[in-house]
Parts: sequence; structure tokens; C-alpha cells
Amino acid sequence: MSKLKLSGVSKAYGATLALRRGDLELMAGEVHVLMGSNGSGKSTLCKIIAGSVRPDGGKIFVDDQPVTISGPRSARSHGIGIFYQELSLAARRSVEENISLGKLPVKSRVFIDRSELRQRAARYIGLFDGVCGEGFSADTLVGNLRPDQRQLVEIMKALASEAPLLIFDEPTSALDRAQVERFFEILRDLKRRGRGIIFISHRMDEIKAIGDRVTIIRDGETITTLNLGETDPATVIRLMVGGAGDMPASQSSVPAVVEGEGGTALTVRDLSGRGFRNVSFEVGRGEILGFGGLHGQGQSAVLRAIFGAGSIASGEILIGDSRFDASNPRDAIRRGCAYVSGDRSRDGVISGRPIIENVTPIHYLRDRLMIARPGKLRAKVAPALDSMHTKFASLFHPMGSLSGGNQQKVIIARWLIDRPDVLLLDDPTKGIDLSAKADLFALIRQLAAEGLGIVLYSSEDAELLGNANRILVFNGGSVSRELTGADRTRYNLYQAAYEAA
Amino acid sequence: MAETATVPTYRRAGGIGRLLERYPFLPALVIVAALLLLNGFFSPNSLTFRALTGLLSTYMALILLAIAQTYVVYAGDIDLSAGAILSLVNVAIVVLMERWGGGAGAVFLALAIGLLLGLACGLVNGLVVAALRLQAIVATFATSIFFTGLALYILPVAGTPAPALFWRTYGGRLFGVPFVFYILAALVILLAVMSRTRLVTQLLAVGDDQQAAYQTGLPVIATRIKGYVLCGLFSALAAFCITGDTASGDPLVGGKMTLYSVAAVVLGGSALSGGWGTVVGSLLGALTIGLINSVVFFMGTPSEWQNFVQGLAILLVLMAGVLAGRRARS
Repeated sequence: MSKLKLSGVSKAYGATLALRRGDLELMAGEVHVLMGSNGSGKSTLCKIIAGSVRPDGGKIFVDDQPVTISGPRSARSHGIGIFYQELSLAARRSVEENISLGKLPVKSRVFIDRSELRQRAARYIGLFDGVCGEGFSADTLVGNLRPDQRQLVEIMKALASEAPLLIFDEPTSALDRAQVERFFEILRDLKRRGRGIIFISHRMDEIKAIGDRVTIIRDGETITTLNLGETDPATVIRLMVGGAGDMPASQSSVPAVVEGEGGTALTVRDLSGRGFRNVSFEVGRGEILGFGGLHGQGQSAVLRAIFGAGSIASGEILIGDSRFDASNPRDAIRRGCAYVSGDRSRDGVISGRPIIENVTPIHYLRDRLMIARPGKLRAKVAPALDSMHTKFASLFHPMGSLSGGNQQKVIIARWLIDRPDVLLLDDPTKGIDLSAKADLFALIRQLAAEGLGIVLYSSEDAELLGNANRILVFNGGSVSRELTGADRTRYNLYQAAYEAA
Repeated sequence: MAETATVPTYRRAGGIGRLLERYPFLPALVIVAALLLLNGFFSPNSLTFRALTGLLSTYMALILLAIAQTYVVYAGDIDLSAGAILSLVNVAIVVLMERWGGGAGAVFLALAIGLLLGLACGLVNGLVVAALRLQAIVATFATSIFFTGLALYILPVAGTPAPALFWRTYGGRLFGVPFVFYILAALVILLAVMSRTRLVTQLLAVGDDQQAAYQTGLPVIATRIKGYVLCGLFSALAAFCITGDTASGDPLVGGKMTLYSVAAVVLGGSALSGGWGTVVGSLLGALTIGLINSVVFFMGTPSEWQNFVQGLAILLVLMAGVLAGRRARS
């Protein structure tokens, strides 16, 4: 009898299909691993099961009974508990309160039963006795804990739901060896007691150590389910990548480095800061350097740090031959560094303002422009927007009237009026449509050909393989591998990304 | 999928930091003590038992209103209609007491209806803000105008007196002890009981991180509504005190008090963004505002300068609180 069964579950956010067809069958007493590359739909699938995302279609069965999961509360009542990848903790509540937050013990119907709360917390903290680390106690505020300790609290919270069906979405990303070992012992014990466990991890060794079966998801679709005992990592990676995994990236699509211009555009030496350490690389003029690897391995942190928006503990940055250490983005912009973020709404768009105001802020800053004359500005703005085939009704329409792709084009057009020397692209195509992507990359290549040094971080491996001259694969905050020439294959990229840090 | 590239900061609080973490109202307590000393310095008479009783009975309404505000601020919301609820309950009970003859029975019945009215106003706010998902600031600003309108309909001009029985009790003594101290004692017990409820923890969890609370399976909307209902309840209690203090009905009496209540919450060390604070802090914050006003008076500030000095003093106290907190944490 299956504990949980999903068939044909789908979810779309606007035009983006996050999950096309999710199928999954979970048995009692097994650890079922979900695997798939960045953005393949694993987390969406988990959130649908946990009720925090409502599916557009498909059926869900718990214990062979069809159910509708209308929200996290309803998921709980169906016996589903989850560990959230991004954690679901109240930072200013204590550890013991967080562990029981989903179902606070009460007496006389309204008062919190403190002694029960404490006992319950002690039970789950006891499971991790000895590996919690310094400063961990039941009455510490979660906000004062280290990242790994917070992750342990989220694990305890999931365990405390005592749900027959538990989901762990990347529960080990911040944990050390001993903590992972202990966690796996607990999982094995739960397995023996007949719980069903869904487990997501990017570490192949962990998957081997704990998993029974694996379901592979690619581009929002369930590909297959395998017995982990009867397969090997290479097969799994091949299935995740899809058919053409061994083919080198097509050479013709990559522009050659313009040797004639000569010199390096950007040099980074031993850069360390929050979220990354000992990162060194050079970008030549006319070169596109790719940053690859799983989400959040330090790629964005490095780019933001160079742009003066993050923290740098040590290291050196040179633009051209001169030392460059921007203390804030304003400084970085003045000195010819450009940064485009994929998180448009947070880092780029001035919402509610006309398009022209969204194209010109960099121009204002670099030209120290005090008074703007629309006629003159328009002459500068038009070619920048046209170079990417930006579609808009008029320059004075609000930014919100544009699609995501066109908004991103406007953001990039900002940097084209006064040419920078270095362009940092932080997952610039997040959530934009295919034709806009094509326009964008055509422009990026053209800019490279004109001698800009470009760093491209993309969460989509195809974009890296198709556009970057070299790829640095990030793992755990540092560069674990450099792929050049014929090594730039999907297979190599995945393998480097999934290696244990 | 949320991108969390940077490792979040964490800190290990030192001795004072830890103390402040457990009792976030400590700076407010220090400030209240300092203001008491200042009062004594400018006018020794202001520290007599009689003067302090007067101060307490004047500012008890603001204390209760600040506490009312605290419960919505816990959840990251705000209630700009708290003062209007106070006005509405004030005129409603005064008019009812007068109409029913001003006897003990009439007084108690009117107070019961006043409480129900406060609860109802809180429920309206909660439904508008949490269930209809309107912006708390603007939505409660709108309901405040609406409640003021109702108050003006019930009593178009200020001045209807409250029955003597009511205000004599409030301003008088019971077994030789001023009545406000019984109110204070009852309030402290009530707050201690409230702080043990599941609701308060849920309000703080919702204010801490609403998305996390939702994903944890907390009833986020219901919790926020309950916060507003609590606010309505305490606003009604505040109205009882203002009625006892002023001995009359005034449809606009609470208008100015709303933002004072918000200021008191912040002075008491609570975070306006939610998830962090104490009702004791708000109590002290309200006392701080009362003491500032009294210091300004006893300093002999010319009347045309009093507002100026009051504003300046509140800013100074706010800065002192922020600095003390920052110093302790670093």
C-alpha cells in the first residue's frame, strides 16, 4: 500500500511552468530521494504536498484515499510534516517554542503548557545530544543560533510534528559531518517504525547512504523512479541531464576571446567574504566568464561583493590595471562596473515610474546630470532600448505595463548609455520568456565582442554552456572546478556541482 | 525558490545583551526612573504619594491604550483607530449611564455594553485588515474616521457629565488606598495571565515572520483578527479610565491619544515590525510620556513652548533607548 501518491500534479506561476507533470509514489518505511537540477520542480512538488503551494491540476492520494490539501494546516491533518529548505522559524522565539510552534501544547484551553513544551523540546533536542554545538539550549532565541543550529531546529520541528509522512527539502546543506550522521541514524530509526520519508539532497554520497529509491525530475516532469541499490551515480546524473549530456557545448555558439584588445578587464585575487572564500579569477576583455553550480553556493555573493553591495573580508579586486574596491554600488558604478540582478523587483525596477526614468538613473549618476531635458534624454535612451528589441508603447508608460522580459531589457539598457568596463550578470534571465532570453544573450555576446569583460552567473546550465568561454563551478562558497574548451559539457558541469564540498 | 546566498548573521549576546533580551523594557525602566528624579529635582512636591496618584489616574487611560496597541504591534500590524474606539466607548457609556439614571446597576450595564462595543470595533478592524487584506495603516485610519463619526452621532458636543458615583469611585479611595492602585494591580495580574496564553505566542510568531508562521500551520488570519479584538477590548478599558478621569463624555477625546499609544509602544522597546516586545514596556512607555509632560510643566516652560519641549524630549528619550539597545548588543 502506498502512503502517498501524486499523479500528474502541475503548477504554473504566470507564464512559467514550475511543474508540468509530477508523479511520485511513497511507500511506508522508505526514504525516497527526489533528484533534479536547479529549478526542475522538486521544491514546488514538496510545497504542494505540504500545502503551502496550491496545485493547478493532478491528484493526491494519502493512504490510497484521494485528498485535497488546501493549506499547511490541512496537510498537517493529513499527517504530513515538512522541513523547509528556506526554514520556517520565528527568529525571536526560543528553540523550545519553535519546535512546538505548529501545535503548541495548551492547558485550560488557552494557556501554554510550559512543562509539556519543555519536555517535548527536551525529547527532540536529546536526539541530537552532543552534536548541537556550543550555545544551543532550549531557551536560546533562534535568531542567536548559528546557521547549522537553526537547521537542526527546523529538523526538530519537522520531527516534532510526529507525522507519518515527512518531507526533508535539503535538510543537510549547513550541517557538519557528525550532525548529518546523527540525523541519518534518526531517519533510519523512523524508517524502521514505518514512516514514509521524502528526502532532497544534492550530495551524492548522502543519497547513497540513506536513500532506498530515487525519483528523477527534469524540467518539471517526473522521468523515472529507480532502486538506488541497482543504479550508480553516473546513471542518475545522466537521467537528470537528459539525452545530450555528453555532448560538448557547441563551439560555434561561443564567441572567441577578442585577443586584439588585450589585457584583463577584471582581476579578483583571494576574495573572501560572507558566503564565499578564496575566490580568484580573471576576466579578459571580450571574454564571458560563466559561474556555475547549484543555487546559493556563493556565486551571487561574489558578484554583489565586487559591486560593493556585499561584504568583503579580504582579497583584492582590479579593474583593468587599477585597484578597485568599491565601498558601495554608487562608487562601483562611477568606476565602470555594472551589475544586473535576476531579482528585478528587489534590485532593479523602480515600480510605478515611467520607462524613461527606469532607463536613466545610471546616466544621471555617471554624467552627474542635474537637469534633464526629455528631448535630449530620449535621443540617448532610444538606441539603448532598440538594441534589444524592447517592446513598449511609449517612454512615459509605467514600468509595470511591461512583461518581465521587457522589464529586464529596460534594466540592462540602463547600462548601455554610458558603457561600463565590466558587466556582472547575476542570473539575469530568471523568470523571463525564451525570446527575451535570446535577445538578451545576443546583446551580451555583442557587448563582449566590443571588449567588455562579462561575468555571467546563471542557474540554467544551458545558458552557461551556450555562452560562456570558461565556466567556474562553485561549491560551498569557493570555486571547485574550472571548465574550459571541450570540458564544458553538461555532464561535467553536473558532476562538479554535485560533488561533496 | 528563494536565493539565500549570504550566510545570515548571528550574534552571541553579552551579559547586558542577554539581560536586555529577556527584559527588553529595561531601558524604558531606567528612563522612567530618571524622569522621576528630574521631576523631583524641579519640584519635590511632584514625588509625593498624592502627586503620583494623580499622575497615574491621569495616564492610566494612555497606559491601557498603549497596551491595546501592543497586541496588534506584536503581530506586525498597527491600529490607528484605537483612540477613536476610546472616544466612541467614552461617549456611549456616558450617554447610557445618564439615560439609565446613573445608579450602580446602570453603571455596570453601561460598562458591559462599552466592553462589547470595544470588542465589536476590534472585530471590524481585524476583519478589514486581516481577512480583507487591506493595508493596516490606511484601513484603520479609515475605520477611525468611521468610529469618530459614530461617536459624534451619539454625542455631538462634549460635555455630558458622567454620574458622580462613577468618577468619585475612580478618583476616590477604597479601604484607604486610591482606587487607581487597585486598577493597576488588576492590570498587572491580567497582563501576567495574558502573557501565558497561546494567543500571545502565536501573535508574536506571526509578527516575527508571517510566511514562516503560515507554513508552520498557524492560523495566521484568525490570529491577527484576535489581536485586533484584544486591542478593541483594552481600548474600551482605557475609555473607562478616561471617563473616570475627565468625568464627562467627549467624542474627540481619544483622537490625539492614538499616536501617543504608538509612541509608548516604541519607547517601551517593542519592534513596530512585529514579533518582539512586552506589554510592561508599553506601560512604562506610557508613563514616560506622562512624566515628560509633567517635567515640562514643572520646569516652568512657558505655555507657548510646551509642545516644542515635549516633542524634543520624546525624541531624546527615543534616541537614548535606541543607543542603549545598540550599545548592549555590540
